[in-house]
Amino acid sequence: MRATDMNPLRLSSFGIRGFAGESLTPEVAIDFASAFGTFVDGGRVLIGRDTRLSSDMVHAGVISGLQATGCEVLDLGICPTPMLQFSVSRYQASGAIAISGGHMRMGWNAITLISANGAFLDPLSGEAVLDVFHARDFRKPGWNRIGSVTATDDFSEPYLNALESHLDTASIQHAGLTVVIDAANGAGCRFLPRFAKRLGFRLVAINAEEAGFMARDPEPRPRNARQAASIIPIVKADIGFVTCSDFSRVSLVSEDGETASEEYTFPLVADHVLRRTPGVVVSNCCTTRMVDDIAAIHQCRLVKTPVGQAYIMAALADENGMIGGEGNGGVSVPRFSRAVDGLLTIGLILESMAKHPGKISTRLHELPRYHIVKRQVYSEPRHCYRILELIQQHVASWAPDAHLDLTDGLRMDWKDGWLHVRASQTEPMIRIISEARQRDQAESRAMDMVRMLEHEL
Amino acid sequence: MKDFLKVSISGVRGVVGETLTPQIVASFARAFGVFVGRGSVVVGRDTRPSGDMLERAVVAGLQSVGCQPLLADIAPTPTIGFLVQTLGARGAIAITASHNPAPWNALKFIGRNGCFLGRQRANELLDIYHHGQFAMVPEDSIPRAEDIPDPTGAHFSKVLNYVDVEAIRKRHFRVAVDACNGVGALHSRRFLEQLGCTVVMCHDMPTGVFEREAEPLPENLGTLMSLVTHQRCDVGFAQDPDGDRLALVDEHGHAIGEDLTVAFAVQNVLDRHAKGPVVIHLSTSRCVQDVAEQRGCAVTRTRIGEINVTEAMLALGSPVGGEGNGGVIVPAIHPGRDSFTGMALALELLAKEGKTVSQIRQGIPRYALAKAKLPVRPEQVPDALRLIRRTYENGKINLLDGIFVEFPDSWLHVRASNTEPVIRLAAEAPTREAADRLIAEARTLLTPHLGTSR
Repeated sequence: MRATDMNPLRLSSFGIRGFAGESLTPEVAIDFASAFGTFVDGGRVLIGRDTRLSSDMVHAGVISGLQATGCEVLDLGICPTPMLQFSVSRYQASGAIAISGGHMRMGWNAITLISANGAFLDPLSGEAVLDVFHARDFRKPGWNRIGSVTATDDFSEPYLNALESHLDTASIQHAGLTVVIDAANGAGCRFLPRFAKRLGFRLVAINAEEAGFMARDPEPRPRNARQAASIIPIVKADIGFVTCSDFSRVSLVSEDGETASEEYTFPLVADHVLRRTPGVVVSNCCTTRMVDDIAAIHQCRLVKTPVGQAYIMAALADENGMIGGEGNGGVSVPRFSRAVDGLLTIGLILESMAKHPGKISTRLHELPRYHIVKRQVYSEPRHCYRILELIQQHVASWAPDAHLDLTDGLRMDWKDGWLHVRASQTEPMIRIISEARQRDQAESRAMDMVRMLEHEL
Repeated sequence: MKDFLKVSISGVRGVVGETLTPQIVASFARAFGVFVGRGSVVVGRDTRPSGDMLERAVVAGLQSVGCQPLLADIAPTPTIGFLVQTLGARGAIAITASHNPAPWNALKFIGRNGCFLGRQRANELLDIYHHGQFAMVPEDSIPRAEDIPDPTGAHFSKVLNYVDVEAIRKRHFRVAVDACNGVGALHSRRFLEQLGCTVVMCHDMPTGVFEREAEPLPENLGTLMSLVTHQRCDVGFAQDPDGDRLALVDEHGHAIGEDLTVAFAVQNVLDRHAKGPVVIHLSTSRCVQDVAEQRGCAVTRTRIGEINVTEAMLALGSPVGGEGNGGVIVPAIHPGRDSFTGMALALELLAKEGKTVSQIRQGIPRYALAKAKLPVRPEQVPDALRLIRRTYENGKINLLDGIFVEFPDSWLHVRASNTEPVIRLAAEAPTREAADRLIAEARTLLTPHLGTSR
């Protein structure tokens, strides 16, 4: 279990991330799966994976580790993480494990733990799994009680049925939209044609081959949306979507080829959903203020959590929320599932386009506009938290008029914007997000923070 | 025994879930991948319930170091070795504990030549494992595992090409097979039907849960013996779980002893296929030696252990040999023990000689085997062995493994056990009395010099 200097293992309460060829060894995969198998006491566990070459290796190790603890494994094979999460309760499983690098660049991969209700494992349960993992005190059912493995592929039709009935499919079909989807050569590729057929739009799929490697950086954001943007005018598409390798997060490209920030995805969907069914909105503490404004427009309460899907899901459950999401292009609607679901997100955006005719570029410009600036400063993980403590001491003099929040890292709120500094959970860096009405204001605050961090480093 | 993990030149074996975990197996697979270098590695297993779990751990381990797993699924150990050469793989990992009880499992490592690793190479692998640094490959170099289509096809063809299939088919043998719920349950019927046999089977569910003791010893073959009798079969074949060892039951339902499997094979190969030196290990029955010497062929005995026999056969250009435990080796087919080769050779012998199993057995000299063990303190062992050596210095002495003394029609083997604080005595002679006499003689000689009290 040797962690390397560059790309060490990152543990969290709902999973483990590592780098293929370095920290992500088969033994770690087996140990982690054995810890989860012990936690669910040898129950039934669903497995799904994305298309990455390392996912195949991790998949073999994870199943082996589950079998060793006596779990009954249902192997869904290549499967978008939201579809896997949707399926847990249908198969009456005790939990699920998703093997996917998601938005991370090639080489990275993650083993994500999912509980019986389909959400990422909650922090308390996750702590229990980590304790088992670290103690290596795994369930030992005996040589003749080793878990069985059954491969199944009958999960996608029920999912698509549910999706079709959740959405106003008739309206979408009637709108006759042409849609570009860049699937990052990920787990969604094989399901796109049926998805398009069910919803009745014309699909132009790119990066839709299960090649095992990523044709682009899989994080859905403007700089990775150029391929989609270049296709849109040629095929005269109404909209384009860019997803990550597990089909959870989505960013969009308008019909004129403008690559919208992934920050726009959640406000756009929230506006559509809340218009019809108002309710509590959940987001993290560093998502765009557009969300605050949208919630206010629809007179809905907004609840803020630390960064991460697990926190969003926990708050959605606690607050009986209508919709949750983050600034990374992730959206979740608990009435449908407890997942950040890219297929659902695309479906809801198409539904809103069908019901409110007009160009998507116009819709985007109608949203309350802010300028968001993201920066990062490299720092070894062991230094991050110490540096954030030091920065906190400077905040009082640097931003005397800001409201300070410590929910997750440091967040400063001004009347015209906010700035958030936190240690990355995935890479050895500190992330800075600054948002303001004026671009200059957002830029200068972010640069000030970068300078302060570099000074402390 | 629960916490017993045996890491040795014959692989790594332990009790599943206690000592033999997927984690350890993945680490060994990584070490093996580093040892053979990047390329393809055949992976196969017997029917034990832990097989598919351990196979996944092996696959993940191999992939992580850039070796492409080629999956033979449930396949006989000889087939797995055979596939290495036909597929041009860098080696193979067989997941099987052979004749050990069902709670056990093991990894066995096969080199580029299709043979188990010899002592030197196995030690190299263990060094890599203990060093613990198995460099992994970056993601874009991780290979995908592939299934091998019809894994046994080429192996079985090679066996069938060796014997006179037509002669065997003409006899329409009725054959009973006891597959010990092992790999034979999936493959033996198909193999024997190609030889025109009518096949009846027992213990033929590939569950890996053994309903008899896994070694094909006469005392474990009651079901097969009554099957042969009731179904009026010409012969009964008992395989071990991974299909490398074979014992024969005659047409009257008597288990004739697994040494005779090798004697039948030697007789048939030397009479019909090729003359040449015969290699057996030290404790193989004298009857095999007689069969060879009657045909003017020299016999070489090696240390215990399949790879020792195989290496000597390849060095001497031996056409046939094996281990007295029912392991027939014909290097022209495959340089390793193979129950399928054993079955084909036995059937060819019956067909060509026009005799029954018991009639052929009649033509092979009978010997009786006697065994004893004497408690010993470790420091007493060297003197005890020296005493035996001095006493029999006028005889023909072989020092490969303890002291092996060969007489005109018998032998005596005295060696220190590797597992218990005892000296093991074994003797074989034409009569029970003669064998007992050899043991009594050695015991009388040694007893005054041994003892557990200080």
